[in-house]
Parts: sequence; C-alpha cells; structure tokens
Amino acid sequence: MTRAPAAGDRGAVYLASTGTALPGDPVDNTALGRLLGVSEEWIDLFVGTRTRHFGWDPVTGEVRGSLADLCAEAGARAMDAAGLGSADVEFVVLATATPDTLLPTTASEVADRLGLDHLPVYQIQAGCSGAVQALDLGRTLVLGGRRAGLVLGGDVTHRFLSPRRDTARMPTEELVNHVLFGDGAGAAVLTDEPEGERIALRSVLNSWAGRGRPPGQLLDWYGTTDRDSPRRMLAEDYKAIEEHVPAISVEILWELLGGLGWSLDDLAFLLPPQLSERMTARIVERLPAGPAREISCVSETGNTGNALPFLQVDRLLPEFAPGDRALALCVESSRWIRAGFALEKV
Amino acid sequence: MGDVAIVGIDCAFPGAAGVQAYWDLLMRGGDGIAPVPAQRWAARDFPAVGGSGGFIDDADVFDSDFFSVTPREAAAMDPHHRLLLPCAWRALEDSGRAPGDLAGTETGVFVGVMGGEWGRLTMSDPARTTALLGSGSSTGMAANRISYHFNFTGPSLAVDTACSSSLVAVHLAAGSLLAEECDTALAGGVNVVLSPSLGMVYGQLGLAAADGRCKPFSADADGIGRSDGVGLVVLRRLADALADGQRIYAVLRGSAVNQDGRSNGVIAPNRWSQQRVLNSAYRRAGVAPDRVAFVEAHGTGTVLGDAIECAALGAVHAVPRDTPCAIGSVKGNLGHTEGAAGIAGLIKTALALHHRIVPASLFADRENPQLRLGERGLRLLKAPMRLPRGETLAGVSSFGMGGTNAHAVLGSAPRTPRGAGTDGARSRPARDAVGVFTVSADTPEALRRNLAAQADAVAGRPRGAAAALCRSSNLVKTGLPHRFAAAVRDTGELVDALRRAAAPTDTAAEQGRPWGRPVVAFLFTGQGSEYPGMTAGLHRESPLYRRHLAEADEALAPHLGESVRDLVLGGDERVHRPRFAQPALFAVGYALARTLTSLGVGPAAVLGHSLGEYAAAVTAGALGLEEAARLVARRGALTAELPAGGGMIATGAGPGELAGLLAAEPGTAVAALNGPSDTVVSGPLDALERITRQLTGRGVRVARLPVTHAFHSPLMAPAAAGLRTGTVRCAPPAVPLASTRHGRVLRHDLMDAGYWAGQIEEPVLMDGALAALVAEVAPTHLIEIGPRGVLLQIAARGGRAPGVEYLHPAPGPASTGLELAEAVAALYRAGLDPRWEELYAPGHRGVEPLAPYVFSSARRSWDRESFVQPARPATATVPDAPRPGRGAGDGRDGDDPVLHAVVQAVAEVGGHPPERVVREARFYEDLGFDSVMIMQLKNQVEARLPRVGEVSVQQMLPALRSVGALADFLSDVLMARSS
Repeated sequence: MTRAPAAGDRGAVYLASTGTALPGDPVDNTALGRLLGVSEEWIDLFVGTRTRHFGWDPVTGEVRGSLADLCAEAGARAMDAAGLGSADVEFVVLATATPDTLLPTTASEVADRLGLDHLPVYQIQAGCSGAVQALDLGRTLVLGGRRAGLVLGGDVTHRFLSPRRDTARMPTEELVNHVLFGDGAGAAVLTDEPEGERIALRSVLNSWAGRGRPPGQLLDWYGTTDRDSPRRMLAEDYKAIEEHVPAISVEILWELLGGLGWSLDDLAFLLPPQLSERMTARIVERLPAGPAREISCVSETGNTGNALPFLQVDRLLPEFAPGDRALALCVESSRWIRAGFALEKV
Repeated sequence: MGDVAIVGIDCAFPGAAGVQAYWDLLMRGGDGIAPVPAQRWAARDFPAVGGSGGFIDDADVFDSDFFSVTPREAAAMDPHHRLLLPCAWRALEDSGRAPGDLAGTETGVFVGVMGGEWGRLTMSDPARTTALLGSGSSTGMAANRISYHFNFTGPSLAVDTACSSSLVAVHLAAGSLLAEECDTALAGGVNVVLSPSLGMVYGQLGLAAADGRCKPFSADADGIGRSDGVGLVVLRRLADALADGQRIYAVLRGSAVNQDGRSNGVIAPNRWSQQRVLNSAYRRAGVAPDRVAFVEAHGTGTVLGDAIECAALGAVHAVPRDTPCAIGSVKGNLGHTEGAAGIAGLIKTALALHHRIVPASLFADRENPQLRLGERGLRLLKAPMRLPRGETLAGVSSFGMGGTNAHAVLGSAPRTPRGAGTDGARSRPARDAVGVFTVSADTPEALRRNLAAQADAVAGRPRGAAAALCRSSNLVKTGLPHRFAAAVRDTGELVDALRRAAAPTDTAAEQGRPWGRPVVAFLFTGQGSEYPGMTAGLHRESPLYRRHLAEADEALAPHLGESVRDLVLGGDERVHRPRFAQPALFAVGYALARTLTSLGVGPAAVLGHSLGEYAAAVTAGALGLEEAARLVARRGALTAELPAGGGMIATGAGPGELAGLLAAEPGTAVAALNGPSDTVVSGPLDALERITRQLTGRGVRVARLPVTHAFHSPLMAPAAAGLRTGTVRCAPPAVPLASTRHGRVLRHDLMDAGYWAGQIEEPVLMDGALAALVAEVAPTHLIEIGPRGVLLQIAARGGRAPGVEYLHPAPGPASTGLELAEAVAALYRAGLDPRWEELYAPGHRGVEPLAPYVFSSARRSWDRESFVQPARPATATVPDAPRPGRGAGDGRDGDDPVLHAVVQAVAEVGGHPPERVVREARFYEDLGFDSVMIMQLKNQVEARLPRVGEVSVQQMLPALRSVGALADFLSDVLMARSS
C-alpha cells in the first residue's frame, strides 16, 4: 500500500477500531430488585442505572464466562473491524482490576485466544483509569515504532458480588455495589497511520494525584492465611467521591484543553466519568457549559470499570464525523488518579 | 516473472497431522523422529539403517469410499497416491473453495514424488501382477489420480528430480499459471518410507545419520534421517487471487531450476550450480540478495552438503547488508522428506511470512564453526525471528541427488487494510448479522464427524460475529451429498447448533441427504395480514430485502404521494386503511418474493390470495412492477372511496352449510372458499352479526376478520367498475400461476382489466387454486409471502398438500429477522443450492479459515507382509475380502436370490464389505466401478446365476444405475427366459 505523505501527522497515533463484549442479556432493575429484595425505586434513586450484564447467573451464582472470554471477544471484534490478522498485532495491553488469576495474567490468556504469539503483552492492574493507562502505554509503544497493537480493558464482578449473601442484612453501602457494577470488556486497535475509523489520539492524561489522601475505593482480596477474614472485599467512600470527583473532572477537562490549545467550543463530544447514572449527571452538571454532546453508557451497562472508556468510544464512533473532536474524562477514586484523552477524527 | 499467490495449504509430516499442527511443531521446536513402526519393517532385521526416522501417523489410512475407490483398488494403490487425494481436497478447501466447484476446470496438478518403490515392491513378482497393481503403482499416476478424481483437465504431471522434486513441481506449476495454461494449480510432493532399501543406500554412501536425525549446520551433523511427508499448496496468479478475495499466505515472486551438469560425480552436490540457481531465482524475482531476510536451506545435515550449501549461500548473500541473512532448515524437525522435502520448506516459509515469525532451526545451538556463517553474511536461527513490518523476502532451496537444483523466492502477502463503514452502515447494530453455516459430507457418520470438528474449531475462537464464518462455509463446505445448515448470529449459537447436530441422538444427519431439488411454491398473503412495523426485523437484517422493498416503494410513491416503506416501518397505524394497507402488502409481498428469487429460490408456481395476486402476478412475469404498483394504488384508492359498513367473517363451515343462512341475508356473499370447511363471508355488519350468532349456536367456529370492507361481495361493485376502465399492460404468466379468481392454473390467460375487476367482487377460490397448484407442480415446500402466517394455516387446515414443508421468512410481529436465513437453510438441506453471497452484506463476505475436512479413518490399506517378506497369497492385501455367509445377501434381502447374487458379485469384484452393497448403492458414484470392473461384474453375475444365461454388457448398461436396478433387470431376464 502506498501512503499519501500528508495522510498522517508525524508522531500521531490513531485509533482504528473498537470492539466490545457484554455477557448475556441485560439484567434490569425489576429482576435485580427481586433478587436482592430491594425496590426498583431504591435502585433508581441511589444509582439511576437501568440495566447491566453479568457473566454469572444472578440466581445460582454459576460463573458462565471469564474476564479472558470477554476480553478475547472484544479484542477479536476490534481486530476484525480494523481488518487486522493475528500477525499484524505487535503488542497487547490489558487493564483490569479483576484478573481471572494472578498468574498467568489475563492479558496472556487473551493473547493466546486471539492467536497472537511472540509479542510484548502487558497487564495493568488498575480501576477504571486503567483503560486510559492502557491507551497511554499503547500510544508510547506505537510512537516507539510498533505499527499496530491492541489495548483492552475489562472487569468482572463474580468474586465480589454474590447472590447467596444475605442481602437483607447488608449495610446500604455494601448493597449499593450490587446495583452499581456490571461485567464487560472493551478494546481498541491503535495504529501508526490513519486506518479504519481514522481517529487521532491527540493526547492522553494519566496522573496519580493521591499523595496523602485516603482511598476513595477499596477492592480487597484474600489468600490462604486470611480467607476467613471478616473484612470487606469492596468498599467505597461515597461522601469523598461525591465531593471530589466532580471538581477533579473539571480540572481534567481544563488540563486536556489547555495542553492542546483547544477551547470548549472545539468539542463536539464529551465522554464524562461513568460512576453511575446519578453520579455522572452530577459531574456533567459541574462541567462548564459548551456545545459538546455527552456520550455515556453507564445507565445501560452499569459501572464496568476498565471497560467503560472503550464502551463510550464505541458509542461515539457512529456519531464522529471527520474534523470532530472529543474529550474523555476519567477519575479513579481508589487513590485519586486523574485520567483522560483527546480524540480527533481525521 | 509474474507473481503467484499461495492461497491454500495442506500437509502431513511426522508429528504434525495438518497445517496447524505443523506450525505448532515448528514454533515449539519439536520434532517428529520416532522408532520405525512395525508396519514398515522390523528394525532388528535391518540394523544397518538404524531404528528410527520420521513416519507420519496413519499413513495406511485412506477414505476410499469418499473418493469412490473400491477397497480392492485402494489396497492396490500406492500409499503415495492415497495420501495425496485427501491432501488435495483439504488444500483446495483451505483456498476458500469447495473442491467440487473446480470440477471440469483446467486446474493443473504438479506432484513431486521420488522413485517408484511401491511398484518395485508389488510388481517384482510377475506371478502376482494384477491390472490394479499396474495402475496403482505407476509414479505418473500420482498426479493423474488427483486430476481424475477431482475432474481437473489442466496439465497433470508427476515430477521426479529426486530430493528436489516437489520444489521443481512448484516451479513448473508457477510457470504453467503464468503461461495461462491453467488458472489454479495444485503443487507439492509426497514421500513414504516404504522399505529400508534407500536407507541402506545412504548408509553405504556414508550419508546416513546414526540417530536417524538430520542436524542441519550443526557441529553434530552426521548425515540424513529419512522421513515421510505429504504437502500441497494451491497456487493462483496474484492478480486473480486478489480479485477473488482469497486469503494469501505468501507470494511466490520468482523461482529457478538448474542442473549440475557434468560435475564431480553424479550424486555430489555442486557449489557453483547452487550459486547460479540462487542468483537466477533472485534475478527472475527482481530482488537483490541483500533484501532476502532468510533462507530455508536444503540443509540435509551431511558434512559435505552443509559445507557446499553454505559456501554457495555465502557467495550470494555476503554483500553489504544491514543484518545477516538468517538461515535454517526444517529437516532438523522432520528429517529428510525427500520427494516432499522442497514442499516442506516452502510451506514452512509461507507460514513464517504469514505469521510474521520464522521458527528456530533445530540443532542450531551447536552451530558448526567450520561453516564460517558470520563471515558469509549468514546467521543460523537459534531462536525464532519476528519479522519486521512491511514486505519480507525469503528464499527456499531444494537440491536433488542427481544434480537438479531449485530455489524459490517468496514475499509476504500484500496487506489490504480495511476502511471503516465499507458497507455504508454507520450505525452499530445491537446484534450480529445473521448467516447460514453449512457443512456437507459423504455419509451421515462423516457429517457428524465433521460437525464435531467444526464445533471444536469454532469453540476455540473468541466469541463473536459468525456471518463471515458462515459465508466462508458456504463457499467451502458445500457440495457433498449429506447436508447440514443452520442460521446463526454469533459463534456461541453456532457451536451449540453444531454440537446438537453432531450428537448421535440427532436424527437430522440421517435425513440430511436430499435426492432431488426442492419444488417451491410461493403463497402471497392478502389483506388483513398487515400491521404497523411489519417485516421491520427482516428489513433491519437483510440488505436484499431492504433493496427490494425500496424498489417497490419507488414504484408506488408517484401514486401514493409518500413512502409506503417509511409508513410501514415507522409503525404508522394508517397501514390498516385500505388506501395504504393494499400498497403496503403489495410492497412487502413483492420484496419478499424478490428477496427469495435473488437468493436462488425460484418458485415452480405462485398463488396469491385476493390482493396477494398482484405481487404473485409480478413474480410470475404477468405484470411489470410499475404496472402492478399503479393498479394496486388505484385498487386501494377505489376501496377507500367505498362507503363503510361492510365486513367479513371466517367460518369453520362449508359453502353448503352456509347457503341457507346467506340466502336469508340479502347483501351477504361467500367471499372466500379457503378449504372444505373454511369459508369467509362478506356483507353488511348487522347481517354478519346475525349469521355469527346462528353459527356459534350450532357450534361452528366464527372469527371476525380485521378488514374495513366487505371484499369479494356485490358491495365491491363500484370499485370493480373503476378497475374495469382503462387498459392493463400484461403478459401470460411465465411461471404457473394458480388463480384464486378462477380456482385453476392460468396458462395463456391474460390478467387484464377485466380480470382484476372480477377479482375484487368475486369469491376467492383458494381451495381450488391450491389443489390445482399441488396437482400441477407437486411442491415440496410452500412459502408464505406475507407479513403474517395466514395461507400456511389455511393450507394446513385444508390438507391439500400433505407431506409438504411450510416455510415463512417473515412470520409475524414476533419474528427476529432470522427466519429468512432459516428458510434458506431448510431449502439447502432439501437440495437447493442458493446464491449464498446474496444473503450477506458486502462487509460480511470476508474469508475466514475453517477446519479442514476430516476423512474417515476406518479403512486401512497396508500390508507390509506382502512385500517385505514376500510369498504370501495376493489376496492378503485385500482387507475386506467378502466372507461367505455374511452381508446383505443373508440379511433383509435374503428372500431375493438374484439380489443376493448381485451383492456377492459386486463385493467380489470391488472388494467391498457386503453390508455396504445396498440396493440403493450406485455403481459409479458410490461403489467406484469403472468399465473394466463392469466386465468383471458381468462374468461374476453369469457364474452365480447360470439360469440367466448370456447377457451382453450392452443389455445390462441401462440397469447399471444401482445394485437394485441391476438385480431387478436380471430378475426380469430370468422370468422371461424361464417362461
């Protein structure tokens, strides 16, 4: 293939395609409320999420699919959409907070299912900002000379949510996790030239800013010595999140715009943080007004952690016209990571 | 030299039963060297040749039934030939085409094969010579058999240049393609180590490795280990392969062949000739040696051979270059596969370019320092080498013992990046597109076996869209008698469907053999079946339906002043008003019928219920689309102008039962005779109300129809008068049209203004029309062409078409859009060969690799006893010699002595197990008989049935369709002669 010299900017990295995977049929609030013994109204009031997907049976708890299954599906769809064969993929970066096993990494399992071999495979342990970290690392690898690679993000809930637990006596702050989260995976193909969707990844912000601040979110794990520990597996400091995340989001927005020399009026789309329908609405309210249309998914997918930014970009693609610009914002409240990225369709 | 694409591969090497297994073996640095199997020879009897080598598993397996080869002939066939036939089938499948689709084409076959050991072993004793052994052992037949069994009429030749045979075969095939002798070529080679003889020769020449292993370029290299192998590639001119969208493993950029001439000994390698063949190949490929990233060397691992080859490689590649040229040889993994050595190297190289990684060369870690590789611009691959982006060039060398050298230059396949939204659809569908996955096989058991293999292969992929996979299966996995087809959206559904059908409890496999083609009749639904949003699922799903509905919409728009398609799909309630209901149903009926005919589902006859006759008339060629659109719009408008107040009821009564009631109610009339007890009545609403009460009182089923007027009654007179004016451009139907106005099939009748006027006020003679249709064409399938199942229920209630299968591509509001594909799948199973490509949007027509056909391993034909230790009777080579007192003759056909005798005669001549010689078995297709065997059969039959007397082959010929036909014929002869 001959390349027109003006087709790509020097030093730019492009997003050629996305792929997503959500397991099974959506579980709505009626079904979930029945399982948890709570009212639909309560779910609506607390989180506003309407549906989510689970890779496990919410009645029996049977696990039907692993994170690797979901990520392989999303990855294969992204590769297919970009017209990439397994030999064309030169790296894999996978971000998750909930790997199937500590070793081997889920990233390597996914590489195997995708027929990839002899290539660098990274796994990033992170909350929802991991997807942005993966994009950041992927961008660096392409700038370092790789032609094309796959970045993925995904999370599954079966280890942390359980239908067998006695939800009636569960404290609200724990119960809310059952209605907040969902399973999912997303992927994107990054290339060094505009291909497929021809979306330039103009900038990536990835900055840990948690020095001296207590965690806003905790996800624990047990081993052989402490498997009977009564401590909580999953906890969130809602007050802190409600207080800080909207303000941090505003700062991320200005930081990204400032770095690029873009103004609010340049933005056709905005992809805000996807904590929950209610929380996302609260964040968007705080953001400065502009012409950008919001692209969100959380009310239909639930909070799928590292899959979220990919699910949002996937929804952006059909709308994104040449010349359009978009900004994605992400705050990981575990220890206050500021993240985001800027896209421009060329 | 022009470019030639490698588009298909199949192979079997020691320790690697197929292409994927071969690649896995290479990438994990495995080898296939093992002790000599007892079947070949007893290792202890031949200590001079060593106890190990490379032997492929199941070299004695041959699915002779699949290729219609009799067991007797299979046993006499050279194992080289037996291995080639399935290899050719699978290689062609891998090229993305059903092998049967190439039958009758000038496809070329070029097969490298060394020596003629089978002939030497089996024909050495003149007393044991048979005709089958004669044809079975000739080396030339190796290629000719493929051409015969696949019906390829292009060049077909076996190539013997000793160990370079198969690469020379590839060179000749490429030349033949570029000279346009053929458009597709199979090229490769085969080698089976039948006896220790050549190993003893190597030993005496000092060329045999003590451990039976080739250790190319290693300090430990001590000679050759012999091995089996079979490999074929499918070649096409690059431009053709690209135009046909075939997957390209690699591109053959150029190749060269030369000879040592009078060098220092006929079997000694020659450095200068090797150098010349490399240079010549690079020149022909138009590449400079410094651009060649790696060379798959001949690398036999003899001290002298390695030294000479490296000197030649060095002389060519030691040019100023960024990185040394990497070298390696697959002989470290496989041993020396002799006649298949060049193709083993070529396949390895093509796969390396395809996967963009070159496997390490085995035994490279103890590189022979005397080869001075570093000084020569060479580097032995001690670890796998990932290839950089862009085009990589690679060389493959193969040298023959007699001095014929070959070198080929391969380049990576051109990359074809995919643009976004190539199918024009920017919206992301919530669900994956539908496809029909097909599998076919030669027996029910083989179908199950292959369904299971496909299920395993698909289950190994990540879950995802299945349409492209389905499309590929339509191209590759069709054409054999037993058929499977399932409509699916994603690979999860596909695996479930395959596993269900592969289960031994599923009877579909037994029923999966159609003996003819389906006879399809289209039944077009009339008014009352419409609803807002009808066929929306199909519209979302099928690009074909979208296109044809748009055609109808365009034809109707000038008459309606708006888009009836948008009205329907937008869920507009106005679709219930006659002004829109009639055009809307016409548009849906037209588009559904055109969708099916575009898919290759041509109706043998059509029938339209009332309004449905308009779309039926267009489908039958009686009306043009524009003319019908004009008429339907006018009919709708005229109906809309009628005063309201009429209605219709469906009753479970016959016309006789209704006669009295109708006579008492002026204005009422029989509107439709749908079945013997299935009558629709039209009339004023109050009258219908009274009739309903009466009938209900008698226990008769009555249902009010959702229509606005009393159609097919005298109340339609004003509309009929309107339709009678003006002329209608029409022609006699080209397809039999069962008229519901006349209750018979129209032949030369014109559907003119008078017809359409009468049609609206006269009763619908559905029952008579359907009966006439069934009598006329004897349909096997009735397809409802309408948005809701109405006519199929009428047909089922009336019982006019027993044993017929009902299909409905748009069965009502609950339809998912999958039903069209399901209907096509059902028709495929019934024997139709649809135009599959029409089922898929262009974006879903990509090529996906599929697991190759899995042949039966039930039959083995190999008996080393007969030649390694001769002096056994020849019959011992026939594995399935019929035993007296067994088989069909003593089973269900025991009461038919003639059939019994025929079965015995067939089993004797063909060597078939008698239970396979069933009445239905066909001599040519199923039993693999040829003219020579027919002569033998005649003699056998005459000997077994002396009372039949002399029967000439000429007399027998018409009866030689099947075993049963021959038995019937002979019974008749017997009767005639004894009377």
